[in-house]
This record gives sequence, C-alpha cells and structure tokens, in this order.
Amino acid sequence: MVEIARNVDPDNHALYEGVPAADHRLERLRQLLVGGEISELSRVTHLLDEPEQLATAVGNVLPEATARASHTQLGEALAPAVERAAQRSIQKNPNTLTDILYPVFLPAIRKSIGEKIDQTFQSLNESLRHIFTWHGLKWRFEAWRTGTSFSAVVLKHSLIYRVEHVFLISRASGLLIAHVTSQDATSEDPQLISSMLSAIQDFVKDSFKEKENSGLDTIRFGELRLWSEVGQFATLVAVIRGNPPEELHEVIRDVLLRIHQESSRALERFDGDSSQLPGVETQLQTCVELQHMDSKEGFPWLVVTAVLLALIVAGGWYFLSWQSAHRWQAYLSRLAAQPGIVVSDQKIRGGDFYVAGLRDPLAADPQSLLPGTDVDPARVHSNWQFYQSFEPQFVLKRLSASLAPPDSVRLSVVDGRIVAEGEATTTWINRARAAAQQLSAGGPVFDISRVRDVSAEDRWQAYVSRLQTQPGIIVADQNVRDGQFYITGLRDPLAADPQSLLAETQVDPARVHASWQFYQSLEPQFVLKRLTASLTPPDSVRLSVVNDRIVAAGEATTAWINRARAAAQQLSAGGPVFDISGVRDVSPEERWQAYVSRLETQPGIIVAQQNVRDGQFYITGLRDPLAVDPQSLLSGTQVDPARVHASWQFYQSLEPAFVLKRLTASLYPMDKVRLSIVNGRIVAEGEAPDTWIDRARAAARQLSEGGPEFDISKVRDVSPDARAAEHWQYYVSRLEAQPGIIVAQQSARGGQFYISGLRDPLAADPQALLSGTQVDPARVHSQWQFYQSLDPKFVVKRLTASLSPPKSVRLSIVQGRIVIVGEAPAGWISRAQAAADQLSADGVVLDVSQLSELNLAELNQLREAIQTTDIYFSSGRVVPGPEQTPVLDRLADQLKEFAENARKAGVTARFMLTGHSDITGRETANASISAARAETVRALLNKRGVAPELLQVRGAGTFEPAVPENENSPTGNSTNRRVSVTVNLE
Amino acid sequence: MLQKKICMLGGFAVGKTSLVRRFVQSIFSENYLTTVGVKIDKKSVVFPDKTVDLILWDLAGEDDIGSFRVSYVRGATGLVLVVDGTRPATLAVALTLRERCEAEFGAMPFILLFNKSDLTDRWAISDGEIDELKQRGWQIYLTSALSGEHVDDAFRQLASMVAK
Ligand SMILES: Nc1nc2c(ncn2[C@@H]2O[C@H](COP(=O)(O)OP(=O)(O)O)[C@@H](O)[C@H]2O)c(=O)[nH]1
Ligand SMILES: [Mg+2]
Repeated sequence: MVEIARNVDPDNHALYEGVPAADHRLERLRQLLVGGEISELSRVTHLLDEPEQLATAVGNVLPEATARASHTQLGEALAPAVERAAQRSIQKNPNTLTDILYPVFLPAIRKSIGEKIDQTFQSLNESLRHIFTWHGLKWRFEAWRTGTSFSAVVLKHSLIYRVEHVFLISRASGLLIAHVTSQDATSEDPQLISSMLSAIQDFVKDSFKEKENSGLDTIRFGELRLWSEVGQFATLVAVIRGNPPEELHEVIRDVLLRIHQESSRALERFDGDSSQLPGVETQLQTCVELQHMDSKEGFPWLVVTAVLLALIVAGGWYFLSWQSAHRWQAYLSRLAAQPGIVVSDQKIRGGDFYVAGLRDPLAADPQSLLPGTDVDPARVHSNWQFYQSFEPQFVLKRLSASLAPPDSVRLSVVDGRIVAEGEATTTWINRARAAAQQLSAGGPVFDISRVRDVSAEDRWQAYVSRLQTQPGIIVADQNVRDGQFYITGLRDPLAADPQSLLAETQVDPARVHASWQFYQSLEPQFVLKRLTASLTPPDSVRLSVVNDRIVAAGEATTAWINRARAAAQQLSAGGPVFDISGVRDVSPEERWQAYVSRLETQPGIIVAQQNVRDGQFYITGLRDPLAVDPQSLLSGTQVDPARVHASWQFYQSLEPAFVLKRLTASLYPMDKVRLSIVNGRIVAEGEAPDTWIDRARAAARQLSEGGPEFDISKVRDVSPDARAAEHWQYYVSRLEAQPGIIVAQQSARGGQFYISGLRDPLAADPQALLSGTQVDPARVHSQWQFYQSLDPKFVVKRLTASLSPPKSVRLSIVQGRIVIVGEAPAGWISRAQAAADQLSADGVVLDVSQLSELNLAELNQLREAIQTTDIYFSSGRVVPGPEQTPVLDRLADQLKEFAENARKAGVTARFMLTGHSDITGRETANASISAARAETVRALLNKRGVAPELLQVRGAGTFEPAVPENENSPTGNSTNRRVSVTVNLE
Repeated sequence: MLQKKICMLGGFAVGKTSLVRRFVQSIFSENYLTTVGVKIDKKSVVFPDKTVDLILWDLAGEDDIGSFRVSYVRGATGLVLVVDGTRPATLAVALTLRERCEAEFGAMPFILLFNKSDLTDRWAISDGEIDELKQRGWQIYLTSALSGEHVDDAFRQLASMVAK
C-alpha cells in the first residue's frame, strides 16, 4: 500500500522511508490496479512530446476550435501574426497581394474619390444656390431633368473636351487589344501606337526606377492629353482633346474595371488574337462618347431666337417642307442642265437631301450651284464620282490644257467636232495627231487638217536662200504646194551638190522635187578650178584670182606655157581674163641647177661633183643615211628623172643634228632623259641609272674625236634611289610575312619611306627587322598601332603572360586550336576556363578539357607542419630566446619550400604570423606585445631568406590562447606566449 | 485582328534594323532606337486563311549582353535571332540572348538569320556549322538586308510559326 501511495504521490516517498524499494508483488499489484491508466498516460505523453503528432492532433481540431473561440479574443491574438505574414508577403513579392486585392481596392478607391467629389459639389452647390441667372436657370433645369446635383452641371459646363481615341493595351506584350475612335478623329496605325506607348512606359519605369503599376498616367502634347489607367492585365489609354474634368479619370477607370471583371481570364491569356475579346469594343465605345462642347451663347438673343424659331417651326412646318422639296427640285434640274454633270440618283429623307452622280472635274462645282437655290447646304449629302465627259466643250478644255496650243492655233467646236486652225510646228501637230487618235475611240472628232505645218516651210526657205548664195548654183524658180517643195535651176558640176546641202536642213527629201541643169559657170573661181584640173600646173606655178582675173605666176617649161596660152585664147570669148605673163620660161639646165643647189643646202648631204653632158645630168657625193633622200627631192622640180645619173656614198655626218639622231637610236635614252642641241653641243639632261650613264659616257668619248661635244653632266644618277626603293620593298615584304604585323599603308617619297599598320605587342619589333635590309633607318618613318592578333601563336603568348601557367601544364596549338594539357590547381583552371569563354567570343578555341586538378597532398603535409610550429617567448619579452633558433631555422626552410612549390602549382602562398601573449599585465600592453612578437619573427624569418611580401603579421593579444589561462597564476602560461603561423593560398 | 509581338535579337551591327527596314516601311523615326532603346514596326503577313500582324520590336545596343533589357521581350511570341555571317562570334551572342529570354519567359518559336549573305568573300560561317544547327530542327535563313535575299521568306516563316 505504501508503494501504491508512493507511486500515486511522490511526496509519500519521504514519509515512508523504511519500505523496501523493490518488491515484485507491489509491482504486480500496481499493474493490476492502474495498468490501463499508465499505458494511456504514456500514449498521451508521447503525443505531447512528438511535434509531428501533436501538430496533426491540433490540426484536426483547429477549425472547430477557432469557430468556437471568443471572436474578440481570437482576433486580437491573431492580428499581430497576420500583419507580420502580410508584411513578409509584400516584402517578398508585392504582386501577389496586389493581385489578390486588386478587385477589392479599386472600387474602394473609386468610392472614396466619388465621395470626395460629391463633397466638393455640395459646397459649390451652397455658393451657387442664390445665383439667379439665365445660365443658372438653364442649368437648374438640366439638374432637375437629369437628376444630378446642380453643381455637377455647373462644373460640367465649364469643361470642354472630347475623348478622341481609346486604346486597350495588353500589359504583358504591349499588343493592342482594342481601339475605338470618335467619329472624325484620325491617327496613325493604332497597333504601333499602342506598342510604342507600352515600350515608352517600360522605358520610363526602367529609367526612373518607378514602381510597378505606376507608369505614366498623364502625358500632354499641346491640345492633346494621354490619360492612362493601368489595370491588372491591361492598360487603358485615352487620348483627349481639350480640358477634361478630373472625374473623367474615374469614368475611364470604371470602364477598365468593368472590362477586367467581365473578361479577366481572356485578358490574362490574351495572345494577340482580339477575336477572343469581342465585347470589349462596346465598352470602350462608352469612353469615346464622352465629350462636352459648350457653345458660347449670348443671353437674351438666344431666348428670343429660340422662341421665334420654335414658333416658325411649329407654324410653318408643312409649308417649309413642301417649299424645300420644291427648291430641291429646282437645284436638281439646274444640276442636270450643267454640262459635265450627270445626276444618277436623288431622294429626300427626313428633311435631308441626297444626291449621287458623276461629274467632270472641269464641270461646275455642284456645291457652288447651291447658293441662290435656297436649299440649305447643311442638309445636302452628295456623293459625286469623277469621270471624264466627252461633251465637245469639255474635250476642248482638256485638249487646251494638255496640248497647250501655240497662239497661232485656234481650237473651236464646229457642229460637235473640235477643229484646230492656224499654224504650228511639226512636233505640236504630231502631238495633236496622237490626241485625235485617242479621241477617235468614242470622243468627238478632232480635226487638225487645217493646221499648217510652219516649221517645214521655214526650213525650206532657209534651204533655198542657202542655195542662192552658193557659187555655181543659180536658183531659177521655187515654190511650196500642198506640203511639197519644188525647185529648178542651174548648177556647175564643180559647185556644191544641192542634194548634200539638203541633208543638213531637216527638210524631208521625199517632199523635195528638184530639177537642175548643168552649166559651166564663168565665175572666175570655177574657171580657176577647171584650169587647175586641165593644165596640172607644176609646183613652181601658182594660179590665183585677182580682181576677177585669173593670174598665173612662177616658172614653167616652155611646153606648159604653150598649153596655158591656148587655154587663155579659148577663154577670151566671154570668160574671165587668164593672165600668164607672170610665168617665166625656164630651161632644163636652170632647173637642174636649182635642184643641185637645193641638195647642197641639205644637212647630211655633200655634193662632190656634178655636170651636164648631152642633155644628161650627172651628180656624185656623200649622204648620211639619216639625211633626206635626194631622189625624193627631184619630184616637183620638173627635171626629168630619166636624165639624172646620181652616185651617192653613205657616210656618217658629224653635224650635231645627225649625231643627236644617232645617239637617240643607239643609247635608247630613258624616259627621264632629254637630248638637245645647244650651241652646236649635244646636251643630255634628266635622270638615269648608272648603267645608262656609263654607256653615254662611252659614246661621248667616241665623239670627242672630231664629233660634236656630248655633255652628260646634267644627268643625275638615280641608281642609289632605285636601289634604296628595292631594299625598302624587301623590308616591307619581310614585315608582311611576319605574323602579328599587318601593313596598312606604305610609300616612298623623296627618298623617305613611310609605313603604317598594326602590330601585336608580342610580334617581332619592326625596327629590329630593319637591320640587314640596307634600308637607312633614319629615312624610315613608321607609325604602328598596337592590336591583339588572334593568330593562335599570339594568343598562346598572351595567355602565357596573363595566366602565368604553372610548370605542370603545357600550352600547344593543334590544328588552329589552343590546347592546355596537364595539372593545375582549381583556381588556375577556373581562370583558364574564363579565358576560354572570352576567347570563344573572338572565335578562338581554347580547349581546357584536358586539364586536371593538381594533387596538393604533398603541399598539405608541409602546410600541416608549418601550422603546428610555434615560436615561444619569455614573459614580457618580444625577442625569442636562443633555444628557438633551430625552430626558426626549420620554419624558414619549410616556408621557403612551401612558397616555391605553391608557385610551381600556379598559386601564391602567404603566411600569417600571429603574435599572442599571456594574460598578465594590462590588455593594451598585451596587444602591443603580441604584435611586436609577430613583427620580430617576421624580421627573423626574413633574415633567413623568406621574402617579406609573403609574410603578414597581426597581434591577437590574449584573445586566442593556446591553452586556458589560470586566473590565479602570477606568471601567466608560457605556452600562450608565442607566435603561430597560418598558411593561405591565393 | 491577329497580332504577334516579335523581338529582333542579335549583336551589335548584325543588321537587325536594316532587316526590319528592308521588310517594312516605318512610321517611327529611328531616333527612338537611341532614345527609348526600341523601335516598333508593323508588317501584315497575309495567308490564305488569315492575316497576321507582326509587331516587330527592334532593340538597340545589345552589344553588351549585360545591358540587354529583357523586360522588352515580355509578351513576345517569337524571336528573330540575327547573326552577322562575317563575324562568327555574333552567333554566340544571338544564342546567349535567346537563352536569357527563354530563362525569363520560357521557350518560344524563333528563326535564326545569318545576315549579310551578299558579303561572300568575307563569309565566315561554314556550311557544316549551319547544317549542324539545322539538325536541331531550327529554321535558318541566309539573308541579306542589302539585296533583300530571303528576308521576306524568313519573316513569313516566322509568321506562320507564331500564328499556329
Ligand atoms: N553588306 C551588307 N551590309 C549590311 C547588311 N545588313 C546590315 N548591313 C550593314 O551593317 C551595318 C549595321 O546594320 P544595322 O542594321 O544598323 O545593325 P543592328 O545594329 O543590328 O541594327 C550597317 O552599316 C548596315 O548597312 C547586309 O545584309 N549586307
Ligand atoms: Mg539597330
């Protein structure tokens, strides 16, 4: 029982101390009495301890529990959590909540704005209440009639505007969903406008970091305003002319909201097919119907006029309608009488008049016929199509416009035909003929037969007068009949051919009928011609016309003089005088002597001997092959060649002219050398290569024996330049063959050489390539721009410089690709990969697939050894005792080895020396001691050959003890007075 | 009215603007390209059973892929990827741009144009390379904005792809 009690209440445990602790019978009893409860208890405990099970259990009852809980308490309890949840959600993505709330808050906002406006109206209402004006009355009436407040009417009338376009634009794609315009508004392509608008909105949003949904809501261009309302899936843009009231925003928003409510799914899924959103246009239509145009009426007149009008309208309606119909008929018959106007249809409907038909653009304007008919132009709706009337007077007008007849032509209508009369040029007549041809298909006849072609006649007259001035041509008669030309007359066979003169005049030869008779003109120049032809005077006789007489002068043989005399005799009967008294009779001997003396004056011909024996002529002498041929000089001398016996020997004349010719033939002077004779000397000037100069010099030497002087001192030896140019070309081609060098331009001018181009910094130095080319570096002007060659060889060079590959990798070029093979640390491999990515944009392949990560095991061991080394110090000392020297020696060796191995692997090792102190003394002192210890060790390691830039120092003070300090120890822990080393790889 | 938004994508000076200019008569000035970064043109492509209005967005300055405004591609139904056939590196640019768009907006139909086909002497894309891309089932055209070669065909093809 005690045990039971103890189990039921542990406090009893203390009370009944003396009871044995374990009695199996009691255990049995307990099982019997409360066994069920115990197992139930443990199940519940388990349930409470296991979070998952507990959650399931609570979850089952939570909805029920919430429903039953006291509402105020539950609300208070949940409020903070819900607020936090909402905050989180907004921070994460504001759109989620916006999308959820959108349908809710828009009407809410609308409502509150509406209330605000109502309030404004109310106060306006107050102030306007007592104003009693015509407008006031009118507006009050309107307010009563429409059931709106008076102030709304007042406001409405002071705002004048019109919504001209409404665009509904998909927010996702900027595509136009629907577009409506007011009746007479125009615009460019609405699809493009909508896309551009949305692009501009995107742009503004991006550029000014505007928040989502707050795009451009108003833009203004002069008279036009763009108002946009952004909805969940679509934006509505209204283009408004004038001065819209603020409430219009609300109306537009309303329309947008309605569209969203009705077609939200279709809007969300809009993919450019507007047939999926059929009802939208009608919705938008309500927007463009929004407008208000207030007319500027004056107060009393309006009333009076209105009343009068009303009376008139009421009283005279039937009369008026009858009268207007009557007037309309009058107008119509007037129209019908107009040439060039064809009325095809007309009717009167609802007091309006409709007329349709055809009109010639040249006919009277139907509109202009209205005044005077008392028909109200505003009620006339006409539909005219243009056509071309064939009525003669229209055709006449059109012809006058298109043919532009000259003043000398008159067009008129005669019996329904169009007749042209007068004079015109051929071209105009041809055009008129073409027009007549065209008209023949259905139009009136266009008769141009009475137009005289003046141009042909003018030309004919010009031809005739030209003939009349021709010597040897006598025009007897000419006339023009029926476009044909007739001419008769006389012509000398030696005169110009009338036919050939015709060819130059553009007179149609087929229309010319000429009849010419030959005659011998006795005009002196014709006689002269005939005499020249019949007498064939020798070269030494000249015939000419002097004062209408024909005069012969000169020298001739007796035989010729006799024939001339006979001719003169003949002419004496009616012809001009032929005077031969001026011709001297010369004997054959005289003529021979004249020939010989002519030969003697010839350069290059030397007459040695000549004589005349038995009517035969003998001559001997020398002649230069380059001199004139004596034989050819005979002709024209009237010496009979058959009686001449000549014997010539060739020789070389040393006369400068001949020498010059010979030199020209033998030396082939270059283009740039000019030979000339100056004061009996032959002078060469210009430029030539040395080989030519050598040959010229030899010729000059030859000539020096008896010949004229040959002066070549003025020829400049250009060979050095030529040779330099050759060398330069060689240098240029050498450069061009260099990889990594691109020659853009090169030239040689005035002995200087210019070159420009691109070079890779890694390519050979162009300057260095000069050596050995014999090009004078002082005359070379080069301009090189650096560029990076994509030649794999250069890329390899660059990579080698920039990546500094570890020894364990090899770069090579395989079929134009760069391949890296070997082992490298991960950091280096990723740099190589980055380089490969960059190069691929330039089209160069860098293959890093054969790189594998370097095995760092060996390094790791060394690192371990280094990091476990500590340098110890005596209390308060910053210099380690002598017993630390071997430790420092070994550490220095290890650091150097590690640094070297790391470098080989392509990484940089850095060692951090951290100084520490024990906790005795002030903390500030400890901090500086610890730093000083690290500095000392750095200096000591440096002395042992470790590069200082690899060693970094810091003081840790007492903060990083190696072993926990005993607060009570007066000396502090010597293990903590140390410098430790850590290794970092970069 | 069936409209589809199409974006022209490709590296600097590959000929996007020229291709659009060749395909359609513009109403907007090309100034928009520099100011707003995009120019929009429309071309109606007529098929026997329907007419598709292509709304072409020509984006400026994609030279630097980092500055590319992906947001302009939102809502697009198709892409025109343009490569300069004389500059092989522009192929990678075009493909990267496409990847960026697909990552953002999912896969969409596209055509791949190797432009400047008139510059045969400087052509730098091998037939093998093009065949390999064709193997992937891509629609590829060799176009010239200069001569107009294949420009209409290519856009027509895209229109039929996006109108499905
Ligand atoms: N030869 C040739 N030149 C072209 C062609 N397409 C464009 N270009 C030229 O390439 C340059 C860049 O064109 P552009 O259309 O401005 O390129 P975008 O930057 O992609 O818009 C311009 O000088 C064009 O004249 C083509 O098919 N052939
Ligand atoms: Mg462009």
